Amino acid sequence: MFAPAGMKRTRNIAIAVAFTLWFGVTGCVHVAPWERGNLAKPQMDIDPNPLQTEMQSHNYSSREAAPSHKSSAGGGGCGCY
Amino acid sequence: MQQNKRPRFQGSKQRYNPPESHSVKPSSHTLQALTSAALMLPGLLISPGHAAVTDRINFQYSRYQEGERNLYGVPHSYKPISADVLHGSGIFSLTDRAKFTFGYTQDTWSGATPVSTTPLATSGGNRPYTVNGVVAGASPLLRSSILLDHDLNPIGRDPITKQSTGVVDTRSVLVMSSASPETRRQANFGLSYEWNEAALNVGGGFSRERDYHSSFGSIGGRLDFNQKLTSVKFGGGYTDSQVSAILDPDSSPYITKTAYAQQIVNRRGSEILKGDRQDWVANTGLTQVLSKNALIDASIGYTHSNGFLENPYKATSVIFIDPADLNKNVIRGDVRALIEQRPNIRNQVALSTKYVHYISPFNAAMHLGYRLSVDDWGVNTHTFDASWVQPLGGGWTLTPRIRYYSQDAASFYRPYLFSQQNYINQAVDSFGRQIWIDKKDPTVQYYGSDQFNLVDQSGNAVDAFSVDAQPKLTLFDAGKLPAHFSSDHRLAGFGSLSGGVVLSKILGKGVALEAGFEYYTRASSMQIGGGGNNSFADFDYYVANAAIKFDIEPVSSMPIATSGGSSAAHTHSSLHHHKIPPATVMFGHMLDKPGDFMAGYRFMYQWTGGHMMHGAHKVSDQTIVDQGCGNKDCQFAPQFMDMRMHMVDLMYAPTKWLNVMLMPTFMDMDMNLRQLAGARVDASGAHGHHGAAGHESGAVGDTYFSSLIKLLDIPGHRMHVNLGFSAPTGKTDIKIRRSFNADGGLIHFGMQLGSGTWDFTPSLTYLGEYSRWSWGTQISGIKRMEDRNQSGYRLGDMFQATGWGGLDLTRWLTASVRGVYTWQDAIHRDFNQYNARIGPMDFPRNYGGQFWDMGFGVNAQIPGGRFAGNRLGIEWVQPIRSDFNGYQLDRQGMLSATWSYQF
Repeated sequence: MFAPAGMKRTRNIAIAVAFTLWFGVTGCVHVAPWERGNLAKPQMDIDPNPLQTEMQSHNYSSREAAPSHKSSAGGGGCGCY
Repeated sequence: MQQNKRPRFQGSKQRYNPPESHSVKPSSHTLQALTSAALMLPGLLISPGHAAVTDRINFQYSRYQEGERNLYGVPHSYKPISADVLHGSGIFSLTDRAKFTFGYTQDTWSGATPVSTTPLATSGGNRPYTVNGVVAGASPLLRSSILLDHDLNPIGRDPITKQSTGVVDTRSVLVMSSASPETRRQANFGLSYEWNEAALNVGGGFSRERDYHSSFGSIGGRLDFNQKLTSVKFGGGYTDSQVSAILDPDSSPYITKTAYAQQIVNRRGSEILKGDRQDWVANTGLTQVLSKNALIDASIGYTHSNGFLENPYKATSVIFIDPADLNKNVIRGDVRALIEQRPNIRNQVALSTKYVHYISPFNAAMHLGYRLSVDDWGVNTHTFDASWVQPLGGGWTLTPRIRYYSQDAASFYRPYLFSQQNYINQAVDSFGRQIWIDKKDPTVQYYGSDQFNLVDQSGNAVDAFSVDAQPKLTLFDAGKLPAHFSSDHRLAGFGSLSGGVVLSKILGKGVALEAGFEYYTRASSMQIGGGGNNSFADFDYYVANAAIKFDIEPVSSMPIATSGGSSAAHTHSSLHHHKIPPATVMFGHMLDKPGDFMAGYRFMYQWTGGHMMHGAHKVSDQTIVDQGCGNKDCQFAPQFMDMRMHMVDLMYAPTKWLNVMLMPTFMDMDMNLRQLAGARVDASGAHGHHGAAGHESGAVGDTYFSSLIKLLDIPGHRMHVNLGFSAPTGKTDIKIRRSFNADGGLIHFGMQLGSGTWDFTPSLTYLGEYSRWSWGTQISGIKRMEDRNQSGYRLGDMFQATGWGGLDLTRWLTASVRGVYTWQDAIHRDFNQYNARIGPMDFPRNYGGQFWDMGFGVNAQIPGGRFAGNRLGIEWVQPIRSDFNGYQLDRQGMLSATWSYQF
């Protein structure tokens, strides 16, 4: 068993949305390198405060049942308390 | 910072640059055009959203503090869960394109944690206990009874007196149990490589706790397309974990573990539940620039877990009801606690999206995120979060953040279960006859409905008076219970709302400070699509943290024009650094130039073990039993004790003759006790059964701050005085958990984390050098400035004198030999709260003494190359002679390691 039907459907929708979004935007976006000043600012980082994110996600994952936000990094220990 | 020297990184992520320095000034149009032209070269374009990280080192401390759980007015002395977390991490360039990352995290938690959930109406749960007739606290009672009406609704009892109220009461309550401090350590390492339009990284690490070991590895990468307007990311990871849960000896006898009988082993008097689990993760995502002011990041991740996915410390209450009682008006239920049973497989899929928009009028960025996850346990989650990153000028940035989370309950979550069978039944054979066994010979069985009407295996009647028959008992039929059940409130349906702020400040010179605060509240009523009906498990917490980040420029990122000669240029400056004293010597050198800043990290590991000593001699166990604990018998002595201290050194030179220093510390210790030969152990003693558990403590220690004043600075000779103080930020009221109906009391003096008093810590240092030789001497002391700390005692004063000589082995490496004399006074006064007084370490006079040591060390000052300017030191301090006050465990030595970097 891999996943229940409902889960599969949700995932298919998600993938469809992601691809539509991608093809939708990549086709028409042109931002020249000299127009990327704002994008290069530290506040525009996808994760502007990595130390905070790491700690928050450790706390959330020890208190909530969602998969860990940084799941590919591994670790985290038991969090059995 | 160095922005003006580094044209190739114009417009890239210099996190410590004041953000407004990126904004375009009208006067710099020409520069901008040139820079933009340069940015056309693919290798110099940065990937939006992915910071081009510079070499750096981070230190972070955070404190997690939960609020009280709702025990419906039962008086208790449980401390809510708290955790102290220390984190250090760094990124170093190995080449222009390859980077090495490392991280170390250590957290120590303590407090009371839920072990189970029961109806509030049971006779057990959180059972108040009295001391001298007064209710002093509550202890978990997992095996109890309950009265139910004919619809199986619980009939209420007063939570304190446990007297029946006669009214239906359907409320549930968490059953709490306290824990002594426990420490987890995690280390991770990574390597990454950047191409012009791609990146690859591999990483791995491990996490260690007494009861949980895990190792993990990961690989990931990024591909940039479309002139870096699009980046695709992918990654995968694997974690292997081994659980060896030390079952709480207090509650274990009352928890049913039959489902795990094969996995439980006995070691040194403790029951240990063993299990393995594996987690595989894979994820892929993309980052897309939408406009010159917006980008979006989306990813999908899949996690597969299998093996022992339970939390071994959580039990589910099962109310067993005799089927014969079902027609009664009042039914008596037998409440038992069973270790939870989760499925052995879990598949989770998570979809995350994040939208980042630049808000021009404010020079701010708005971050909006949404995350959906679904899994085959039925836990579907939604997370919404929003933050606003607002640069304020002057290097300040303020980031408020809000988050909402909701999850559905796992399909097998139940606060508690009913089972219409007896917990214990008399065994029945295939003919439906009750089975009896002979007390004298358990292999002989009899059959029949009552003791005086039995037949043997051949069907012959048995004389009831000649055999001693007793019922053969069997436990409940596990097949009648659900295959999976858990009452861990993390698998319940609930929602949570949290919010906080992060404030950061760039100090210049590559140093940045960051502080964050978050408040989190969980409520079952906040679940999307209806209340989770488990408000009894609601709680809240806050997290406060502070971090310091050092930006270290590798030599290769010096201006391109000088890259050929940069190494020489740096060597030139580092030649003017004076020799530094051996690693253990604190406050041993000063910065020379006004405005200089030094950041460092100091680690000390102190190891005691071996024989118990009295004065300068070994002492027998019997002598300790008789004399080590005053007019009581000693029962235990320490077997070993490890103390580790992590210290962040921050030093600044406002003028040439004055330096100021700030040194926060973080301590952790662990200790194992052994029973003394010949000791009469009090069965109710707090330590009686703690064989495999030992003690740990760890958190913030005392904070040192001082000013160093230069007295003499002539070629070859320098002298300075240090006027320092230590602030009592380390705790002195750490307790051992209550067990076996006895309070643990305060943990031993030596395991407390600080002095608890304001202390004066002066020192006088002389340093000399000539050619390849260097030498020095220091006298230092600690004078406690208060009579007692909040726990009633004060540590002894200390005096130390040391002298050393060093020889340069190479241009950058110095070896040193050092002699040390230390006098430390015994502890004064005593605990003003209960302490179990089970061994010599619980008596003030068994502390301090006179000590003679030799130190052997090396110091390295990296003169050139990529790591120029870094200084490293390591020293082993070997005890030569000790004259202990009273009865103490022998000293084995101390290791010190330091790293420092001057800006």
